Amino acid sequence: MGISHYIRIWLTSARYSIVRTLMFRGDFFIWSMVELFWMTVNVLMVSVIYDHTQSLAGWTKYEMMLLVGTSMLIQRFLMGFFWSSIFEMGRNIRTGNFDFFLAQPGNVMFMATTRKIDADSLANSIVALALVIYSAAQLHLHPGPLDLAIYAVLVVCGVVIHYSVLVLCIAAAFWVTSAQGIEGSYFTLSEFSRLPREAFRGIAYGVANLVFVWALPMVVVSNVPASALIHGLDWRLALWVVGMAIAWFGLATWVFHRGLRRYSSASS
Amino acid sequence: MFASLTKYGQAFLIGLQSNLVYRVNFGIRGFFSFFHLIVVFILWSAVYGSQGQVAGFSFAQTFTYFVALIVVQFMIGAFNEDYQISEEIRNGLINQFLLKPVNYFAYRFSIYLSARLVTGLLILVPLVVLYPLLHQHLALSFDAWRYAAVVPALMMSALIQFGIAYIFGMLSFWFLEIQGFVILSMALESLLGGQIFPLDLLPRTFFDISAGLPYFYQMYFPVALLTGRISDPALIVPMLQIQLFWVVIILLTGRFLWHRGLRLHTAVGG
Repeated sequence: MGISHYIRIWLTSARYSIVRTLMFRGDFFIWSMVELFWMTVNVLMVSVIYDHTQSLAGWTKYEMMLLVGTSMLIQRFLMGFFWSSIFEMGRNIRTGNFDFFLAQPGNVMFMATTRKIDADSLANSIVALALVIYSAAQLHLHPGPLDLAIYAVLVVCGVVIHYSVLVLCIAAAFWVTSAQGIEGSYFTLSEFSRLPREAFRGIAYGVANLVFVWALPMVVVSNVPASALIHGLDWRLALWVVGMAIAWFGLATWVFHRGLRRYSSASS
Repeated sequence: MFASLTKYGQAFLIGLQSNLVYRVNFGIRGFFSFFHLIVVFILWSAVYGSQGQVAGFSFAQTFTYFVALIVVQFMIGAFNEDYQISEEIRNGLINQFLLKPVNYFAYRFSIYLSARLVTGLLILVPLVVLYPLLHQHLALSFDAWRYAAVVPALMMSALIQFGIAYIFGMLSFWFLEIQGFVILSMALESLLGGQIFPLDLLPRTFFDISAGLPYFYQMYFPVALLTGRISDPALIVPMLQIQLFWVVIILLTGRFLWHRGLRLHTAVGG
């Protein structure tokens, strides 16, 4: 089965999701507001903090806004394209409804994680992007087409890494049956993505730096594209992010398929 | 009086049993809350940087505020009471209470108390385990008046917490799906309750506005009292009065919605 086959499947799912959204317009409105409000909360936090300080680990207010905007952009894409499907996957594994995906014409991981699209998150990705553009304007940045392309590639790598970590969290359901509460661990990890990389230095003798910046990719994922826009590209860091994206995606695929072998249809 | 104590005491005991079943889930949740403290620690260390004080408070005071926030959250916070109430309304489980001399609010409140007893005790486990790591960054105030005021403040905060969850649960009489409202209100509560940053960091005007809203008394007020962020004893009584005002308003709103909602409610099935 070629790529065009998968694109066709994905487009069909996307069309179905959009039609559903149009059916439940009130829902779409409320969920868009929910996300918008949470994003506003984060922007307000940055704003209030900078009322009391000039710089946070060397980052100025609008540099920090650009970081938060980038982190939100990655998260909105993850939510928009994959979240509902992956979240439901955990429940489906428990109830046995996961059988449905095994019978479909395509790779199980693809079918199970791309089925639903959340239009509200995608709508809010525009708000996140606007925050990035606004912050870049405040910083008087004038990125060329190449800079923008690099930023886009890094953001895509970020989405791949987040996707992989989320799949890994939820795939735990193959072993422990109830993955409830485990998705919470993903949210805790994602909180780190709004912190500047430099803030980790020297804390707990650099152990925090090693664990949260290098071992777990959340911090680097948002920091590298944001720094690339602000300070220009650091090739070594960019290659690290691309390498991490490949490694985490490989790990997620491997664990998912190991889990799939354990799947025994409905439990109870 | 004694009869109703026994009645709701039983509800409390049943709630206790069913919540003890989920002790591991609550334990994991408690553990992850402390993970959140790492983010808080790193972020606020960077904010303090080379300055000794932010808005008049030391790093230890601010960090203590966030630790106390987590503990108080597990002791009085409404976790998923709104969903439980919503489910009982939608599935028709409330029908049984309509035919019996059971006050639904008192019944749910008893269960909430039992759940908070379980989570409130469970959160002490990671707190005790991590205390050796935490204690050098903690700064507690030991004024007697502070503790005398914290007790009523916490009790009223619990009523506000539960009351708001109850009100959102009541919305199920009108709406099929309340999840969106709940998360929207959660964002509002986190911000205006001081869970994102201590409210005293807000510009004066915004702080004064927030001090008039119920969210202020739901979380920020008892925690700020406990951790020394409210340092003027003269402010305590007026603040407790505003808190009491909101408790009354919220409880009355919950009661009003219950009676209005029942008019719409149709008990299907048997």
